Amino acid sequence: MKHALPPEELARDERFVRNSFMARAADPRMAAMPAEKRNQRFPLSPEREDGPDSARALMHGIFTGEIQALEGAGRTCWDFPTGTGADEAPFELKLDMARQCWDEARHCEISVKLGDWMGTEVGEFAESVFLYEAACNPDPVLRLTGVNRALEGLAIDVFNTMREFGIKSGDPVLEFCEDWMLADEVTHVKMGSDWLRRLTADDPDRRARALEFQRVVDKLFSLGGARGEEDDSPIRLARRFRELAGFNTEEIDEIADLSHQSRAELASYQEHAATKQAAAATSEG
Amino acid sequence: MADPKKARAAFAPWDRRELPGVFTVDESARRVGNYKWIESRLFEVLGGWVATVPELDVKMRLGAHCYHHAWHAELWHKRLPELREMNTDRLTQPANDEIVAFIDAMTEPEAPELTIEKLVGVYRVLIPHKIAAYTYHLNNTSTITDAPTIRSITFILQDEFEDWRDGEMLIQSLIDTPAEVERAAAHQASLEKLMVLAGGVTGPGSIGSPAARIEVVA
Repeated sequence: MKHALPPEELARDERFVRNSFMARAADPRMAAMPAEKRNQRFPLSPEREDGPDSARALMHGIFTGEIQALEGAGRTCWDFPTGTGADEAPFELKLDMARQCWDEARHCEISVKLGDWMGTEVGEFAESVFLYEAACNPDPVLRLTGVNRALEGLAIDVFNTMREFGIKSGDPVLEFCEDWMLADEVTHVKMGSDWLRRLTADDPDRRARALEFQRVVDKLFSLGGARGEEDDSPIRLARRFRELAGFNTEEIDEIADLSHQSRAELASYQEHAATKQAAAATSEG
Repeated sequence: MADPKKARAAFAPWDRRELPGVFTVDESARRVGNYKWIESRLFEVLGGWVATVPELDVKMRLGAHCYHHAWHAELWHKRLPELREMNTDRLTQPANDEIVAFIDAMTEPEAPELTIEKLVGVYRVLIPHKIAAYTYHLNNTSTITDAPTIRSITFILQDEFEDWRDGEMLIQSLIDTPAEVERAAAHQASLEKLMVLAGGVTGPGSIGSPAARIEVVA
């Protein structure tokens, strides 16, 4: 078996359909909308007419994210020789990744059952493999910062949002499960923070590269600003749980700022796509 | 109430533990080092395979089993210094080149359509051999002097039996045709031949030898 499996080779059964975040952003149906509607955001709420459908879509996204988190942690066990060199992974780090495999496998099981509970079938929504892409970095420290600190941090925000949705909608099953998964994610983020400190204690350049990679992942996967601190953010930044996971206020402020930038960039990208589409329609007409 | 000052035997009548055991400290440490090596290779490959199997139920079970074997490796990692091996890497070794060849062959299947081969290698060949070697160690080491090893083996065997059953049931659920029966059997046979050459997971003597002279220590 080779080391480093590219995202396009992730094995799935026939139900799964793959899509990219950029393809979604460039969806002509989005570009055809008026700008004010296209840029509208709503916090996830059971009171909204589309609340239950949005929650089902998010739950499916959590499910596919958990599969990729499982695969990413598993590949970190396999892809690196055991050791303390720059291109190696220490034995204890691999043990942590194996533990994460088990946690993520449980999260897949929970997500499948919750999806079923919410009336969703596996494959009903498209899967984008961005989480696994961040888990393909050839430096194990960068993998840990990209996945455990950035994306598992995003998972904290998502699970907290879903937990609150469960509370608001009077769904004790959803609230219960999200609370358990949230506990695991805090552990995973802490794992990432601990390994970042340990492996880069004597290598400030490597630490700087790892933190820069985390910033890139945090910005890219703010989901176009869907995760943020604005009043209309569908996924709220979970400050309290992030603090428990070892983030300081400055780091959380930076993530909020990156999300804000990401939102502005997405709006600009969609505006450009809409202008292009309108121009093409005019020339055809 | 019985008189608390009255003398009692150090070993209760139902406690049949004995001092004699087959293994010296060095031999126990050698085997533990082999166990750690094989458990490490196993959790690494299970982790790697997760991304390559399309069957959702198999994918999730491999994730859970990956951790079981990592935990076993960790138990052995912690046991080695207690057996006077302070440099744990020195004894974290394969029993011989043949067991390395076996692991290489077992980890070779990668394509998504090879789930049967992946599972057969682990659950029909390696895990039964691990259970055999662990059971031999459990039944032959001193029940008093090597009690920490026995305790670890007891926990580990519980995982091994449950994982073996999980894996076997997954294999049975994947095999639908006589051709797939042949495929599974052929792969099992090719790996079993390599394991025979290795002599088991700790090399020749993994499960003792009925023909060999057994020297009881202590």
